[in-house]
Amino acid sequence: MATKQPDDKSYFILPDLGEGVHEAELIKWRVAVGETVQEHQTLAEMETDKALVEVPSPWTGVIQSLNGNEGDIINVGATLVNYDIGGGATSPEDVSMDDAPPDTGCVVGAVDDSMTVPASFARTAPAITENDGQKSLATPAVRKIARELNVDINSVGGTGRGGRVTASDVEAFAHGTKPAAPAPQPAVEATPVQQAPITKSPEQQPEALATRVSVPQEGVMERIPFRGIRRKIAEAMTHSLHTAAHFQVIDEADVTKLNQRRQALSDFVGRKFSLLPFVMSAVTKALKKHPSLNSTVDDFVEEILLHSHVNLGCAVDTENGLMVPVIKNADSLSPVQLAEETARLASGCRDRSIAREELTGGTFTISNVGSHGGMFSTPIINYPEVGILGVGRAKERVLTKDGAFYAGLVLPLSMSCDHRVVDGAEGARFLRTICELLENPEELIPTI
Amino acid sequence: MPVKPIFEAVINHVSILDEHGNFDAELGEGLIPNEDVVAMYKHILSCRHFDEIAFKLQRSGRMGTYPENRGQEAASLGAAYALEPNDWMVTCYRENAGLFWRGLPKEKILLHWMGDERGNNLDGLRMTPLAIAIGSQMLHATGLAWASKYKGDDSIACTFFGDGATSEGDFHEAANFAASLSLPVVFVCQNNGWAISTPSSVESAAPTFAQRGLAYGMECIQVDGNDLFAMVKVTRDAAKRAREQQKPTFIEAVTYRLGDHTTADDARRYRDQEELDMWMKRDPIIRLRQWLESRDLWSTEQEEQARADAEKEIAMVVKNAEEIDAPAASEFFDNMFVELTPELKKQRQTMRTSSIGQDPSQVDVKQSEGAIK
Repeated sequence: MATKQPDDKSYFILPDLGEGVHEAELIKWRVAVGETVQEHQTLAEMETDKALVEVPSPWTGVIQSLNGNEGDIINVGATLVNYDIGGGATSPEDVSMDDAPPDTGCVVGAVDDSMTVPASFARTAPAITENDGQKSLATPAVRKIARELNVDINSVGGTGRGGRVTASDVEAFAHGTKPAAPAPQPAVEATPVQQAPITKSPEQQPEALATRVSVPQEGVMERIPFRGIRRKIAEAMTHSLHTAAHFQVIDEADVTKLNQRRQALSDFVGRKFSLLPFVMSAVTKALKKHPSLNSTVDDFVEEILLHSHVNLGCAVDTENGLMVPVIKNADSLSPVQLAEETARLASGCRDRSIAREELTGGTFTISNVGSHGGMFSTPIINYPEVGILGVGRAKERVLTKDGAFYAGLVLPLSMSCDHRVVDGAEGARFLRTICELLENPEELIPTI
Repeated sequence: MPVKPIFEAVINHVSILDEHGNFDAELGEGLIPNEDVVAMYKHILSCRHFDEIAFKLQRSGRMGTYPENRGQEAASLGAAYALEPNDWMVTCYRENAGLFWRGLPKEKILLHWMGDERGNNLDGLRMTPLAIAIGSQMLHATGLAWASKYKGDDSIACTFFGDGATSEGDFHEAANFAASLSLPVVFVCQNNGWAISTPSSVESAAPTFAQRGLAYGMECIQVDGNDLFAMVKVTRDAAKRAREQQKPTFIEAVTYRLGDHTTADDARRYRDQEELDMWMKRDPIIRLRQWLESRDLWSTEQEEQARADAEKEIAMVVKNAEEIDAPAASEFFDNMFVELTPELKKQRQTMRTSSIGQDPSQVDVKQSEGAIK
């Protein structure tokens, strides 16, 4: 399809070179920096999955930079060439990027705040308030990523050539792992293409929800646009189900002893604790024993990322739908601290005051469905994580031990794992570890 | 009972100006006035340049998919030349040269491929929008010819389609209706050797595509599609037959697609370079220029001038297409029906289609707060 290029002709965005082509390999540059090129003159030879093609210049101009090395894969939408239009650095800000921004999916934990207000169901990108002081240099594609992540690009320090903000800068900023201060100019020239892995490929994007089926039209009471947070949730769930190879393991933990200790602790501290923080604590400890569960998958570069710390997502039901705040470094927190963090984040979700960074970066998620009902569940993985634990409702049941009956409290646990990363046996062992920690709670609750 | 033949047929191949410059004076002399040959040669140069630029517009993100016409200009141009102004030209998408000859503004084709419906607004022109879905247009041509016959006017319909389209059911239906109802249709099959990546030899076991018309009782003829003179001759004969005897003709114009199927294709992946090289020599431009020069109708200076004119002209065409104001969303509905159907009227009002569950008969159903108006 035709691509919107800048009116000031300061740069050229790689268009879709065929039909539905989303990337192309740079085979050979046919022009050099500083060269004057004519309209229709070939800039580069590129190979898509369909064809080897020559990419012509859409206008006459002087080449300021060639963004990519021969052999690089360039994404459609990335800036291929910058033109010298005088006045130094190119500023693509006057480019209209608001024409139909793709509704890219995000994990449930990364719901755009602005997308959750029902009154603004319109599918427009959230407005970004620019700093008046200093404007960052960045390609339109990077700016788009920033908008999607709700990041003010002018607050992000750039590490790219000439101080340009790269896609990874924005992502690092969004994940809170990068200071906002302007970054020092790097001595080494980085490869621009590597800086800008830009648009998501169709494979990364969630499946379209609309297949044409006959929808009954009788007695329709209300029509609700499938938009906003509901749409985001739908896309994230569908994408996860279509990507991760879900398998489920279920088990029960005898939490009788844990419950007694929990009550003792509640009495001691003077505050009521639920079982959840102890389950969370058990999960973080089990993840340390089974590190493959504390990982995420980057399907785009085909890597499994094992994480040193546990960032524990906790599904929260809000009136607008599911949100998943993340407790950072949950493995360094005690159950009491976990309880406090959970309460703080949940209230932040409900009154919408939660910070953006607190909704991203999870490595494992717990869904406390049991607080609402149900026994077992088949939770959907919070992709790109590889595991999610559904905690059911603890019930008193008749149990047996050494040939005798006793009344005990049983906690049903349901876990989904991405079988691409975690095999069944490992998943089962992991869940068993959690159960054992809950059944022998000495490690979880210090003796009072 | 003895066995006796009850049907025999011969398919003739017509060539007037071949790729070696041989000219059949008996058939070709006086067929086209010299000044018209010059004009058509210039026209082909302009169309060729248009094609090259359109291709580059797609590659630089300024236009959507585009099917190159390169190499096939003589086929549609020769046929278009042989038609009367009131005749219908019902094409697919490799007939730019013929359409432009009959007065279609060139920017319309660019607008079409840029996704602007105004490119399909052909008010006052006896032609139909490019038919992208393979084969549909042959039925329309039969219908238009039927209407002409019904109304008693003397216009005919000339439809163009590729070799691959003759494998579509639409072709067979259109051909059977045209022949059995005795309708004034000229079927021009541009056999360019390839149905996208399927070679003719795989598409059909028959030695010609022309003989497909035999089964329906049509006159059939094969012609060198890169030979402007031969195209004019056979189309003129077919048009006469259609107009005077209300009989359809099947013309197989043997040509070759020098470019890719579309900008989304890479023909090098399935075609041999030798085959391409051979057809490059059969390019209609080469033999026409030779013919004109041998008769002192054309000079190097004129060639340079014509090429420079074409560049100027096409640059203006591109400018016109790119600088036109964006269409209103409602124009989406404007060019298909003279009068919108009730459902389309509702869709136009609501800017919704029923395909996303918005049944227009329920437009008054309550929308939730914040719904897109």
